[in-house]
Amino acid sequence: MANILSNVMSKSPWIVHVNCNSCNGCDIELLACLTPIYDAERLGVLNVGTPKQADIMVVTGSVNHKNINMLKNIYEQMPSPKAVVAIGACASTGGVFHNCYNVIGGVDEVVPVDVYVPGCCPRPEAILDGIMQAADILEKKRLDNKG
Amino acid sequence: MIYILKILLVMILSPVAGCLLKGLDRKITARLQHREGPPILQPFYDFLKLISKENIAVSKYQNIFVLIYFMFAAASLLMMFFQMDLLMIICVFTISNVALITAGMSTGSPYSKVGSEREIISMLCYEPVLVFFIVEMYMLTGSFRISSIDHLDKPLIFYMPLAFLSMLYIMLIKFKKSPFDLSSSHHAHQELVKGIMTEFSGPALAVIELTHWYEAIFLLGLMFIFAKQYTLLGLAIAAFTYIFAIIIDNISARLTWQWMLKFTWTVVIELTIVNLLGIYFLNLKAL
Amino acid sequence: MGANISLLIAVPIIFSLLFLIKTDKKYYKVLSILLCSVSAVLSIALAISGEQHLTISGNLFDLSESLIFIFEATIVIYLFYSSIKNRKWFALFLTVIMALLSIYTSFFTPKAENAILNIDKLSIVMVLIINIVGTLIVMFSIEYMPHYEQHNNIKSRQKFYYFMICIFLSAMNGLVLSDSLLWIYFFWEVTTVCSFVLISYNNNGAAINSGFRALVINLAGGICFLTGILLFKNTMHIVTLSQIIDARAAGPLFMLPVALLCIAGFTKSAQLPFQSWLLGAMVAPTPVSALLHSSTMVKAGVYLIVKLSPAYAKTPLGEAIAIYGGLTFLICSAIAITQRNAKRVLAYSTISNLGLIISSAGIGSSIAVSAAIMLIIFHSVSKALLFLCTGQIEQVIGSRDIEDMSGLIRRAPVITILAAFGMLSMILPPFGVLITKWVSIEASASNPFVTIFLILGSAFTSAFWIKWLGTILSYPVNDLRPKLPVNFTTYFPLGILGLIILGTSLMITPIFNKFVSPEVIELLKSRNQLSGSFGKVYSYLGSFNVTVIFLIIIAMFIIYLFIKKLILSPDIKKVYLCGENNTKNNADLKFREGGGALQDPVVSNLYFNNILSEKGLTIAGFAASLAIIAFMVTGGII
Repeated sequence: MANILSNVMSKSPWIVHVNCNSCNGCDIELLACLTPIYDAERLGVLNVGTPKQADIMVVTGSVNHKNINMLKNIYEQMPSPKAVVAIGACASTGGVFHNCYNVIGGVDEVVPVDVYVPGCCPRPEAILDGIMQAADILEKKRLDNKG
Repeated sequence: MIYILKILLVMILSPVAGCLLKGLDRKITARLQHREGPPILQPFYDFLKLISKENIAVSKYQNIFVLIYFMFAAASLLMMFFQMDLLMIICVFTISNVALITAGMSTGSPYSKVGSEREIISMLCYEPVLVFFIVEMYMLTGSFRISSIDHLDKPLIFYMPLAFLSMLYIMLIKFKKSPFDLSSSHHAHQELVKGIMTEFSGPALAVIELTHWYEAIFLLGLMFIFAKQYTLLGLAIAAFTYIFAIIIDNISARLTWQWMLKFTWTVVIELTIVNLLGIYFLNLKAL
Repeated sequence: MGANISLLIAVPIIFSLLFLIKTDKKYYKVLSILLCSVSAVLSIALAISGEQHLTISGNLFDLSESLIFIFEATIVIYLFYSSIKNRKWFALFLTVIMALLSIYTSFFTPKAENAILNIDKLSIVMVLIINIVGTLIVMFSIEYMPHYEQHNNIKSRQKFYYFMICIFLSAMNGLVLSDSLLWIYFFWEVTTVCSFVLISYNNNGAAINSGFRALVINLAGGICFLTGILLFKNTMHIVTLSQIIDARAAGPLFMLPVALLCIAGFTKSAQLPFQSWLLGAMVAPTPVSALLHSSTMVKAGVYLIVKLSPAYAKTPLGEAIAIYGGLTFLICSAIAITQRNAKRVLAYSTISNLGLIISSAGIGSSIAVSAAIMLIIFHSVSKALLFLCTGQIEQVIGSRDIEDMSGLIRRAPVITILAAFGMLSMILPPFGVLITKWVSIEASASNPFVTIFLILGSAFTSAFWIKWLGTILSYPVNDLRPKLPVNFTTYFPLGILGLIILGTSLMITPIFNKFVSPEVIELLKSRNQLSGSFGKVYSYLGSFNVTVIFLIIIAMFIIYLFIKKLILSPDIKKVYLCGENNTKNNADLKFREGGGALQDPVVSNLYFNNILSEKGLTIAGFAASLAIIAFMVTGGII
């Protein structure tokens, strides 16, 4: 019985996928996670479209002046406890584009990132691993909030 | 005293059954798609997670509608178990639907508003068929009360085959499964973001999920009525309906509301009316 | 208590003259409050004193007859003058026919000895509605009319307005209290003229045309009425309504005048194919629409048809009336979905509900007639509230379009909540309108064609109410305090009407047992198979337990008190607009589009204009309804 009631957050991590500036490579790999071969749903992962119902924000692509407000808005509309996973090199640090004139940098310039999944682009297994680690961090955050 | 016990039993066991049914739904869907799928208790984990989230909203008063939605759906399920007047039960069930539609519109989000509009169209489609089914039940048994079916010798489905087909069809609409998951899609089939539910989260969404479990049992109960005197046959019909909905969900794509409206009002309602006139003219009285 | 009855007719006339004295808002305020209180007292006193049967004879009768003759002559002369002045030749033609028929009736038929007043439960209920709801509407006009005249650039005619409204109230009282057919006809014609005059209030082209359209159709109905009366008088020596009810199918020639009276009722209640006058009448000021065209005058038509129900119960004429009412119910509900103008939606909704009443009356069983009478009561109150709210909304936002009312709860929370309550009372249990719809469906279930119409019509009904309800609530509002000045004469009637809706729904079984059931038993001379006790309305068909719903609502309140913190204090976030809502506060639901400009997301309702067309449905309705009416008339002869 105790097993059912523990790890509440990590058993049902719902993600919202935000594409900031990505070439769509990381996005395709992320969506591949949801296909039958990698099947994220067996871990309870659901791609919900609205940040209000999501626990984990999965970000691809770097941040520039045009999308910085968009990213902030979506992050603010998520209820706590929430976590952010930065997928790919561009989301982590800006990747190849980090010195470009319009690129501000990685996602951690705007929102606090919990898990970085490096790669260009990372494999679906790595992405899933990152999401599950974020789910465990979520559970920790929930227990911290409660206690 | 027995009443209170019965009420508690229904109130507690129905959501458990509904939760397991939803879990089975996701598991079977997954297996049909050649993948593992979540554990059967996954809806329960989702529910617990949602309760532990922060309570957010866009409008201070939107959660009142969720409460109304929940209370009246649970109440209509309870009334069905007490075998009261079926037309009254549908009227009470309408309150919860109206509450859900109004909840969607009250958030002011354009996505929920479109979702609510489509839900109104869904209501336009399924309500006549439901009430025709009830009137045909009356014509056969002489009363609108569910308890009066016990006097019949043959199960209702024997006299109402066309109505059964129509009810199967509108169960697809009521369960919000493809091809009619227009107003609020479940489980990552997104159109209009999440439709009506876009701006609901946390504990409010948990209550909505709970209500969906009650609603699932209620709808299957409506199908159970087709063979109420023979419990096993009734349960088989209910199970068949649910499996049918899951399979059709997986093999069809979402259709437009115009198609749904046209098809329902030209084919399905006609089927039910033919059944009604058939009962009337053949003077079938199952008593 | 003859004094009570004569007061009911005389008091509004006295007030009508009092209103003519000054044009001053304060003075009107005092007068309207006085009128409200006096009328309420009189009508409640009548309700308490119960059923009565009075005969007016002798000098009083001669005096009344002369007065009636003088007023009739005045009406005819006025109509002549008006038709000629506005060059409405068809109206003139109908007035001539009416005048000729009236002269024939007055001089060439045997004179009546006396007049009968029959006050039964239905009359008492109608008197309560006219005097309480009606006078509340008068109170509402105090604040409304100055704004209305200013907005429409009309020279002030308020004295005339209040004068005609009070005359109208008096005529309605007389109509429901009388039993003698000729007196009913006289009051009927007075209400026609009041309607004509009040619809043309704006004195511009559209108003005058609508007024004459209403006049023409109602005059035609009046002529049918008078013809029916003459047939009754000359061939069967029937001069009162009670005699018709008692005679009951006394030969083949009996059905034709009954059919003619019913047709008069159809014209008064704006059924298909006569509905165009009611839609045109929406140009009138909203209190006029609320009073005449939803709560009282159109109810006079269905009142007559319900009173006649024993005459045609279980006959082919009754079946035809049931199908006819169902047809109107279905078609007008379907058309209402396509309308964007709020008052037209309300008008079509009124017509379809009247069709439902007529259909229930036509079915003729005790359960069905109970449904008809109950719907008269509940519909009057709910519709009055909705019309008044629409009028006030129109003055707040300056538009009647439903799309412009989107998010009204932000601008005018009090009005929105009242209007939402009114709309909910039309479609949901535990409110009376839905309970009577439930009774109607159960009562009609033995006649499959009527049932089909009723079920399909109810589906449409819910659709347009929910659409409108959602639209006015559609804004993420966080503060429900009143934003506009709340003045007494506007909000008191709205509040009282809301309380009446709540009260009548709570007291549905006492109202049923005290007013509706005895009336049905008296009309149909048989046991009422519908019963009600402790909030449960039941019959051999089924039962509706209204108490259960109230218990659920109470349970909800208790749960709400416990989790109040959870429900009412969430963290407020912005609406999801894909992250593009870059404005500082949530008060403006704007988003920044590609070029950088700020845009409003606009979602409008669906009006199904390419699936349902008002024109197509109206033509279909015309054809079908004319066929049924032809059957009613010729079937009577054959």
